[in-house]
Amino acid sequence: MENKVIIIGAGPAGLSAAITLAEKNIAVLVIDEYLYAGGRLLGQLYEESPGKWWNGIVESKRLFERAKALNVELLLQTSVSDLEKIEQEWIVHTNKGVFRTRQLLLATGAAESPFPIPGWTLPGVMSVGAAQVMTNVHRVKPGKRGVIIGVNVLSSAIAMELQIAGVQVAAITLPATNLLTKDSGNPIEVMNSLLHVSHMAPSPLVKIGSKFMKNEFMKKLGITFYPKNGVKMWDIPIMLRKAVVEIVGKDQVEGVVIATVNTDGSIVPGSEKRIKADFVCIAGGLYPLAELASLAGCPFHYIEQLGGFIPLHNEQMETNLDGLHVAGNITGIEGAKVALAQGKVAALTIAHKLGTSTTQQEIQRAIEDVETTRANAHIQFHPEVLAGRQQLKKIWIESYLNVTN
Amino acid sequence: MTERILSHPVLGVLPSKEKVSFTFDDKEYEGYKGESLAAALLANGIRTLRVHEETGHPRGIYCNIGHCFECRVNVNGLEGERACITPVSNGMVVNSGKTLPTSVRDWRKNNGK
Amino acid sequence: MQNKSMIVCRCEEVSYDELVEVASENNCSARELKLRTRAGMGYCGGRTCRTMVDQIAHKHRTRLDCEISLKYQAPIRPVRFADLGEVK
Repeated sequence: MENKVIIIGAGPAGLSAAITLAEKNIAVLVIDEYLYAGGRLLGQLYEESPGKWWNGIVESKRLFERAKALNVELLLQTSVSDLEKIEQEWIVHTNKGVFRTRQLLLATGAAESPFPIPGWTLPGVMSVGAAQVMTNVHRVKPGKRGVIIGVNVLSSAIAMELQIAGVQVAAITLPATNLLTKDSGNPIEVMNSLLHVSHMAPSPLVKIGSKFMKNEFMKKLGITFYPKNGVKMWDIPIMLRKAVVEIVGKDQVEGVVIATVNTDGSIVPGSEKRIKADFVCIAGGLYPLAELASLAGCPFHYIEQLGGFIPLHNEQMETNLDGLHVAGNITGIEGAKVALAQGKVAALTIAHKLGTSTTQQEIQRAIEDVETTRANAHIQFHPEVLAGRQQLKKIWIESYLNVTN
Repeated sequence: MTERILSHPVLGVLPSKEKVSFTFDDKEYEGYKGESLAAALLANGIRTLRVHEETGHPRGIYCNIGHCFECRVNVNGLEGERACITPVSNGMVVNSGKTLPTSVRDWRKNNGK
Repeated sequence: MQNKSMIVCRCEEVSYDELVEVASENNCSARELKLRTRAGMGYCGGRTCRTMVDQIAHKHRTRLDCEISLKYQAPIRPVRFADLGEVK
């Protein structure tokens, strides 16, 4: 077991890396906590172009079967609790035993960052990703009629998925503002961020937006006259002038109290209204799940555009710790296709170190592929993701110079 | 009450799977072999999986992928098992999390307010 | 508003108001805020609330971007003693 490369996380980055390594005849062990391989990819379902669907279950299965055919060892339902380095080896502690390797790849993905709403601990309130998994992976409706709090790329995509599955989405709306909602509770800021993704949303709202709302004045006007009951996208009311002030219910969700908000997100007193729902989704965005990199002793940097604290790494996906690599959302929040491409880079970097026939050109081509995939991404979680990547690169180079000088 | 999505316009018809029976707080339920306990319980209309150990406030799934531990239940005598990542099996005995018998003194400044 | 009953740390049921008050009174770091209130110290290890606790603390302090404000501690998943000692 000792000479195998270990990959933690069987999402798109981890599986793609495993396949690339196995294709080079390198033994691989992939460890993942979930029931099935695929990670967050499993739940994804959207129409890339008319009639052409990106189906996360099919994509995950394809990766899983390719990995299996190449004799990749997959250990599912296995939780990693600790990581340490003893001499040259990384020691991975799991509930199924201890595993050792010289070359480790962390592909642990992302976790959801919520914002709090009074009543959000009630059964029936879940993260938007939870509703996605329940619906598309388990094929159980999260409820009959739901309200999604938080208007962003992820929540609108999942709202549509719920609608397709026959789950009614009563509204996608804003959270009532507090210190934790950042710009998510401000109608103008939300409108701005939606305008940025106008190329991907075939909605009347965004079409109006991108044509007429280019300058600040028109934007302000747009939000001022924004219909109080929202604009419908795929038959779902998107309410940028409403906010949920409370989730109500005795033992589980029975509804939400929504209020009209001013253009700055402040509540219009007396406008509170109760609407019925049996489930509520909180869509506060994603942050890189980097706990293992932190335990390993990796240096980090906070980069807003990438979703939070990022373990420092270079374009070859190496951290500054010998034998420790990262790929996928742990390096910044982006789509599954970028994660797939990053996984390949990490695998080629490892393969090169292990002395297999892997050329620098091969690695360089894979890095270029990450960049192309990023440039053509269907979904961008942060409009300035490229700037975030460049900042990270700069920090990496500076930290490297500090060490060598 | 929620329901299963038997037929989906893009994902197609739900493949038929082996049925299993399990108990939750001494009541018997049916689920599909290998599916998550959280999904099986939700398909049976059950959202509340435990109560907060101190306050007794009801809790159910939150993240659904093993991160938040809100769905932890007792499975075949083992405490703290996450219902969202535990595959259901035939004869499984599941119990919800209860309040702890001893109350913890609320030492916070604003306690009770 | 209802912030008094608005929970931030679900595991330890620490409210938004308490966190904001403690952060303002003590002008504390994210770590100190966590230690004073127990937010982020429950069963999940702070995976759910860490971004919120961090954000509240940084309303009164500028962020030090180059290090993680809330340290991660092993084990990052609860471990059974039976598994540790391999008593099966």
